[in-house]
Amino acid sequence: MNRRSLFANFMSDKPVEGNPSFKPHPASKGAKRFTNALLRTHEDKEVRFYDDLIKGRQAIINMMYANCEGACPLITSTLVKVHKHYKERMGKDLFMYSITLKPEQDDPAALKKFATMHGAVNLPGWTFLTGDAFDIKTIRFKLFRINHVNFDLDLDFHASKLRIVNDATNVYTHANPYTSMFTILQHISWADPPKPYDEQLKENIEIQKRIDREVKVYGYRKTT
Amino acid sequence: MKRRMFFFSLISLCMAAPVTAFDQKGCESDGEPHRYFLVLASQRGAFYDKTGPAFPMLIRLDGERTQIEAVGTYSFRGNRKFGTVPEESYREFMKEPSAASNVMLRLEITSSQYERGLKVLREWDRRAKEGALLYRKAPMNTLLLVKEVTESLNQCGEKEIRLYKLDWSLEDTLSDEIPPAQVPFLFFREMRRLNESLHVRDDKFQEYRNAAARQAKQ
Repeated sequence: MNRRSLFANFMSDKPVEGNPSFKPHPASKGAKRFTNALLRTHEDKEVRFYDDLIKGRQAIINMMYANCEGACPLITSTLVKVHKHYKERMGKDLFMYSITLKPEQDDPAALKKFATMHGAVNLPGWTFLTGDAFDIKTIRFKLFRINHVNFDLDLDFHASKLRIVNDATNVYTHANPYTSMFTILQHISWADPPKPYDEQLKENIEIQKRIDREVKVYGYRKTT
Repeated sequence: MKRRMFFFSLISLCMAAPVTAFDQKGCESDGEPHRYFLVLASQRGAFYDKTGPAFPMLIRLDGERTQIEAVGTYSFRGNRKFGTVPEESYREFMKEPSAASNVMLRLEITSSQYERGLKVLREWDRRAKEGALLYRKAPMNTLLLVKEVTESLNQCGEKEIRLYKLDWSLEDTLSDEIPPAQVPFLFFREMRRLNESLHVRDDKFQEYRNAAARQAKQ
C-alpha cells in the first residue's frame, strides 16, 4: 500500500504546497535565487517574494521609485501597454511586479499614488512592492546586477531594465523597455510555457504559408 | 544650596551645547574615552589565482578588552571564503607584516566613523549568514565592501583620511584595468601610500592599548 501510494504520488501532477496551482520547475533554485523577503504591496498586504509572487509563475519585474522623473514614468506607461496586450493572461499565469528602488521613501500609500497617476492601479496581476531596504537591495542585485560594481550601484541603471522570469519553466531573460513594443512582447514570449505539439505544428504551417506568399510577391522573405 | 544647583545646571548646559551642533544622523561624536581603529589588511599569493585574504577590520580599545570585528575574504583550508573573519585569520594583521606580500594600514578613527564602518560590516556579515550576498563571486563582494567601508569614513565632512576613489573613472587605474580579485590588495596598498603619515605603527598602537588598560584599572 505504501509502495503503491509512493508510486502514485511520484507519477501524479500533485500541486505543491502553498501555491496549489503554481508548480516550480524541478531545476528552479527557488528562494535561493530570488530571496523570500517579506515585502508590502501597494494595497498594504504582506507577501513573500518567492513563495507568493514568483513560485511557479511567469512574471515581468521592473524597478522604479515614486518621485522618479526620468525613466520610471516612461517604463510604467510601456508596461500599461504590455498589460493591455496580455489582459487575458494577466493575474492568471502572467504577473507584473514593480519594486521600489527607494523603500525609505516609498511606503504602500506612495506606491498606490504612483500607480493611480499612471493608470496602473487595480489592474489584475500587477503589484507594486516595497519592503526593508536590506531586502530590496538584495532583490535588486539578484535580479538586475551586471557584475560591474559602479553600474550596479547606480539606481537609475537598474530602473531601465525589465526582468522576465518563468519559474515553472526555469526561464530567466530580460528586455530593454526602450525598444519597440514588438521586441518587448517577443522577449516576454520567450519565457512563455511551451505550447502543445499540435498547436505548434499549426502555427508553423501558418508561418510557412506566409513566407511562401512573401517570396512569391516580393521575391524575399519578410517574416522574421 | 540653590546657588550650587544653578552652577551644576549651567555646567550641564554648556556640556550639552556642542553635542547638539552635530545634528546629522551618524555624525555625532559621543565623546567616549575609548579609542577606535580601522585596519585594512590584505595578502597576496594565498589562493590559486595568486590573490589572498582582504578585509577591513574595526578595533575598539576600551581597556578591559579589545573588541574586533572583521568581515571580508579570508582563507579557510586554502580556499577563499567570504564572511566574518575568524580570529586566527585576522591575528597576523594585528601587527605590521614584514613580508612584501602583505599590506596593512591602521588608522585611528573617531567613534562616529567607527559606528558607520561597523554598520557596513554588520550588514555584510548578515548578508553572508543569510545567503543574501550581492554577488556570486567573493572578490566582487569584497570589492564592494571595501568601497563602502572606506567611503563611509569621510561621509560627515572629515577630511584627514585621504581616499583613493574606486569609481571606474579614467583616473581610477585600479578598478578599470585589473581583475576584481586583485583590486583590494592594490587598493589597500594605495591607501597606505596616501595615508602613510596617519598610519598607527605597532609601538604606538601598543602604547594606546596599555594606556587604555591603565585607564580601565583606575
